[in-house]
Amino acid sequence: MLASLTNVTKRYVRTEGLRDITLEFPAGEVVGVLGLNGSGKSTLLKVLAGLLFPSEGTATVFGGAPRRNRARVVYLGETDALWTWMTPQDALRFMTGLYADFDAARFQELLDNLEVPQRKTKAMSKGERGRLRLAMALARDARLYLLDEPLAGIDLLSREKILTSIVKEWHTDETILLSTHEVAEAEALFERVVFLRQGYLALDKRAEELRSEGRSVVDTFREVLS
Amino acid sequence: MSSLSRFRTLLWLEARRSWVWAVGLIGSLLFWAWGMNQVRFVDPGEQLGVRAVILLVACGIGAMILCLMIGRIRSETRHGQYQVLLLTPPSGYLHTLARFSFAGVVAIVYYIIIGGLAWWAIAQAGLRLDAGSAAQLMLVCPLYGVVLGILPALAWTLLLMVFISSYRISGPGWVPGTVMILATPFLVSWIAEGIWRISYRLPSWRLFAGLRAAIDTAAWEAELEGFEGVFALPQEPLWVMLALSIVVLVVAGRIWQEVEA
Repeated sequence: MLASLTNVTKRYVRTEGLRDITLEFPAGEVVGVLGLNGSGKSTLLKVLAGLLFPSEGTATVFGGAPRRNRARVVYLGETDALWTWMTPQDALRFMTGLYADFDAARFQELLDNLEVPQRKTKAMSKGERGRLRLAMALARDARLYLLDEPLAGIDLLSREKILTSIVKEWHTDETILLSTHEVAEAEALFERVVFLRQGYLALDKRAEELRSEGRSVVDTFREVLS
Repeated sequence: MSSLSRFRTLLWLEARRSWVWAVGLIGSLLFWAWGMNQVRFVDPGEQLGVRAVILLVACGIGAMILCLMIGRIRSETRHGQYQVLLLTPPSGYLHTLARFSFAGVVAIVYYIIIGGLAWWAIAQAGLRLDAGSAAQLMLVCPLYGVVLGILPALAWTLLLMVFISSYRISGPGWVPGTVMILATPFLVSWIAEGIWRISYRLPSWRLFAGLRAAIDTAAWEAELEGFEGVFALPQEPLWVMLALSIVVLVVAGRIWQEVEA
């Protein structure tokens, strides 16, 4: 098991981000983490990344505490968090200097494929910055990828490029947890879908099962979360 | 991948994110030098006094700017860069050390230049320092001051900001932050009192031993009457503050591991 959550509750000052969630993520899955705004998707990914600590329950990644194993996990947050002075070359310097599993050649290839311009991020569009961040994430050779809203606020063409890259870079021993609102566009990627509603686990099902029942992920999204 | 290689990368990152602050701070000394040059009095003692006050103001403002530079964790938290750093493989200790090292180097350069300006002001006042005294003024005094006051202030600021950032999301982080800020003056006075008590038990460092003999200006004879030409600098405060800075940095590095983002 690459990652698991056992009875995890995450409390903030006034609200609860997650409520008694138990989930397991084996190797080799592309999991859609879906839900409305404030349903707990980002909290779930942050707990697995080690950015948040559970208030109750246990989160495990590679058999240990997520923060302790952070070097083995790729986390792409929803916040556009690159330094404004950073160019793709700076990003290369940053990643090669800190991550042992970062593949510089793969990064260059991803930059070309995703058409990321060689300029500072402050001079890039939101889509270009999103593609740069994705290239930084996918150029790592990890087994667990946590991608939080990589498609949010990005134009259609960039979204297509991002989804194509995710598909292309995915290996069968890797697990990707992808949270997105663009359910229809990303539907074909998902092997399993986890629906969250107000911090609770509303549904955890294989996409294939849904399809065999004659329902799409989008239909189920509407049905479960409406 | 070695820790040294990661440390170099973090230093590079610090330099990239803070170079405007560093260059601005060191560049501000041009302004202070210009200001000092505008001070013209007939009495050289009075002139030196006013210029010394200007340098003291530059020292104080420099310390504040250095603390602001090292303490920009809140804005990084808001913009998400802190999140990126928290997930990088280096430990909190290495992150803390890189931040502290960069700010420390900037502080040393800044205060050594201030030492140079002090030497210039003294020379302008007609006092000719021998080579040993000049070196002590421009190197030993700034380094002593940096270790005694600036490095502990930087380490404390770093601890304060990391402390406020930790548990920020799931808890009221402003409580420990406010407590720490309010406690700072008491802590400083308590430490100063303690240091004063233990000072001069170890052999002190004698500075400006050649100063008296080097002064050949008759105008200064009255001013320096009774001054034997030697400052005895206690070494205990230096070691105490160095040790405290290290302890504070270790605590900050440990808390870094617990920060939520």
